[in-house]
Amino acid sequence: MKFCEVPLIFEKKVEKQQKNFVPKLDIDVIKIEEIIPQKFIRKEIPIPDIPEVEVVRHFIQLSQMNFGVDNGFYPLGSCTMKYNPKINEKLARLPGFTNIHPLQDENLGCLELMANLIKYLKEITGMNAFTLQPAAGAHGELTGLLIMRKYFETQNLDKNKIIVPDSAHGTNPASARMAGFSTIELQSDENGEVPLDQLEFAMEEGDVAGIMLTNPNTLGLFERKVKEITKIVHENGGLCYYDGANLNPTLGICKPKDMGFDIVHLNLHKTFSTPHGGGGPGAGPIGVSENLAEYLPVPRIMTLNDEIKIITKGDNSIGRIKAFWGNFGVLIRAYAYILALGGEGLKKVAQISVLNANYLRTQLKNLFYLPYDRICKHEFVLSDKNLPNDVNTEDVAKRILDFGCHAPTIYFPLIVSGALMIEPTETESKEKLDNFIEILRKIKEEAENSPEILKTAPHNTPIGRLDAVLAARKPILKK
Amino acid sequence: MDFIPHDEDTIKEMLETIGVNSLEELFNDIPKDLMVEKLNLPEGLSEPDLQKYIEKLARKNKVYSYSFLGAGCYYHYIPSLVDFVASRSEFYTSYTPYQAEISQGFLQAMFEYQSIISRLTGMDVANASMYDGSTALAEASTMAALITRKKKILILEGVHPEYIEVVKTYCWAQKISIKIVKEEELLNNLDDSVAAVLIQSPNFFGEIEDLESISRDIKNKAPNCLIIHSMTDPTCLGITNPPGSYDVDIFVAEGQSFGNPPSFGGPGLGIFTVKEKFMRKIPGRLVGQTKEINGDKVGYILTLQAREQHIRREKASSNICTNQALCALMALTYLVSLGETGLREVAIQNFQKADYTKKKLAELPGYKILNKKPTYNEFLLECPNLDTFIEECKKFNLLPPLKISKYYPNLPNVALVCVTELNSRDSIELLIKAAKNANKLETGEKK
Repeated sequence: MKFCEVPLIFEKKVEKQQKNFVPKLDIDVIKIEEIIPQKFIRKEIPIPDIPEVEVVRHFIQLSQMNFGVDNGFYPLGSCTMKYNPKINEKLARLPGFTNIHPLQDENLGCLELMANLIKYLKEITGMNAFTLQPAAGAHGELTGLLIMRKYFETQNLDKNKIIVPDSAHGTNPASARMAGFSTIELQSDENGEVPLDQLEFAMEEGDVAGIMLTNPNTLGLFERKVKEITKIVHENGGLCYYDGANLNPTLGICKPKDMGFDIVHLNLHKTFSTPHGGGGPGAGPIGVSENLAEYLPVPRIMTLNDEIKIITKGDNSIGRIKAFWGNFGVLIRAYAYILALGGEGLKKVAQISVLNANYLRTQLKNLFYLPYDRICKHEFVLSDKNLPNDVNTEDVAKRILDFGCHAPTIYFPLIVSGALMIEPTETESKEKLDNFIEILRKIKEEAENSPEILKTAPHNTPIGRLDAVLAARKPILKK
Repeated sequence: MDFIPHDEDTIKEMLETIGVNSLEELFNDIPKDLMVEKLNLPEGLSEPDLQKYIEKLARKNKVYSYSFLGAGCYYHYIPSLVDFVASRSEFYTSYTPYQAEISQGFLQAMFEYQSIISRLTGMDVANASMYDGSTALAEASTMAALITRKKKILILEGVHPEYIEVVKTYCWAQKISIKIVKEEELLNNLDDSVAAVLIQSPNFFGEIEDLESISRDIKNKAPNCLIIHSMTDPTCLGITNPPGSYDVDIFVAEGQSFGNPPSFGGPGLGIFTVKEKFMRKIPGRLVGQTKEINGDKVGYILTLQAREQHIRREKASSNICTNQALCALMALTYLVSLGETGLREVAIQNFQKADYTKKKLAELPGYKILNKKPTYNEFLLECPNLDTFIEECKKFNLLPPLKISKYYPNLPNVALVCVTELNSRDSIELLIKAAKNANKLETGEKK
């Protein structure tokens, strides 16, 4: 990565020149004051006029201070930072997709793509019906929880609590609140899994709508008693929600439906390789079992006898959760990915993501404390517990950056103190993994012999460690 | 085709290191009866075959030469450099910038995005994006209920019908009631129990509301009621007064018009802005300026995270995690590419071309413009024979206007016409011709 300090765009020299991006006006000029009242017209826009070449350079320079999967290893746990195939970028930019209006009639290509994607997602998860509307995983969670709320509401049952294990993603309890639920937090047992006795105890309270579960959980461990878990919840009149953030290692191996889940969200930007875009856009489709299909948001795309049907109304539907159809541009990429890999390819994705994670786990546990030591799935979690000289997780993460790698997810899940959550994904070569092991070996040595290097890291990045406290105490959010 | 780098020997070597005999053994922790034999999916495709297949699908959609359709999704010119910037791998293959020191590029861009949205809207604080305009409006509504501790929202008629649907869904779960009111009924419905009034301007019918006077009236009658201003095509801000110049508490918009293609309605960009006093209640990511701990360099970092789900969990102001960062980057690139001069020109041309079209159509016998207020780039056109008009448009390769009966069944003969800077004079002439033809055919049939 090249370092160049880039001034804010607002500090560039202004050149008040004609812009090339507006067509020449080819009708008679009508004065703006004749169209709208003077009082509606603004005097100025404090946005500078900058020559095109300078705009391009500005953003290219900024890009050089940013790190993506295409720059190097990005083992950010729970985010599945796999390679984003370039062909998908090309396909998503076809004018036959980008220029299509969501309200136009001749849209069969879009509808067919979505109907086919639904068909494939049903096969992959075992679920019976899908919506592609949610724009992200958390948006899918909200949709799924609203389906739960509606389901109980139509039965005149007042259920206002959701069980969430303490290892869950922060979005789970936050989504629950947005859907009008309060949460019961369940403490994981000594194996990092959901304790059945506590679950039973919580369910017996009576007003519990269900459970939100990630499987494999955020420790990267498969909940071995998942069928017992879903059975207990069902027997007590609850529904089971599957957080699909960690679906990658189950592709072609097992299906959420068979585990007993009623509602599933997927993160197409994780499992199905659509780029993360610096934070988005993503897509968070929801799959449900047959008895919940009527609660899905509208409009719904269905295939009946090979014909595509759009359902725009439903008495029990939760309604709309987003304007138009969903993040269609993201759906194209996910669809292309599934087509490229096919059933066999997807299974290999699961196998190799687990192979890569276990390869790292078995070697890194000799260097760092591994609180849950058994075969993991796509990721595993180390702790800073045994590090010498007060070196902590943040120090390790910042030092990793110096070696041209992204850091793992840190301080999550909360149940591991000083967590380092590592997810290599299936698209990393053994060479890259070995390199990462070497980096952590070096860092471990530094922790023992020269901790100061770690505490003041990073050293080779465009900027040194930043003051988060200052940023929050005196927020400067614009210029 | 897969994207896995290992060959068989490497896999074997790695299995040995782990201490297992096969890939299957890595899945021994999964109950046997859960294991599936295989997925019933088509065989994988090579890159050329995949390309051919998807291109075929894309051809099943119709791309028109010109569009007269808007209604929440707009055709504006996108400078080539926008996609060029968004195609930089360093940007689009990165994720939420948790590690600030190697994410300065995106963080600075988001800081600039927040700044430029503030400058354009006159609002104090902008977040780093929401999913789209509709969810931004829905979150603004629930946020207002949370702040005011009131459970009633008034929606002024003219908010995009799909946005109202989304607001309804979000509010239902939190037991917030909503009521849609006409302008003349607004003040009668307003009292201290109202958390917020939602106003779209330019509204769904294209009309610019007099926000200065509406907001004054609202605050006079109910000083604690929040005013939420929503917009579906913010290119009008190139010439119209910024929402921050009125007494607006929250301003949200669909930012697709800024450098993002229609793309069948998504991904778009949720613009979310608030007045300073609500800074710590705003949903979504915020990027702040700070300094090095051991140095003087200025840098950028995700901040005020105590509002967010990963810290606050069930007490977070929203559940949003993944947002629309790349779309925000495209909006930023668009806005600085055009600059003040270009933005003003775009807005003026939208006004001019729509006005020109409006007047031409109004001259035709049988056609009538229904708007009573000034309009931006959309207007309501009553037609003698709407279905024929739409078919005639298609014959000229024009994407026809919206039949507004899709959302308002009581208006069967009304079209919502959208004219932007991309509509050439020729395309407008064709639209007029289509309208004339439709009328002729109509009279012909009657004979």
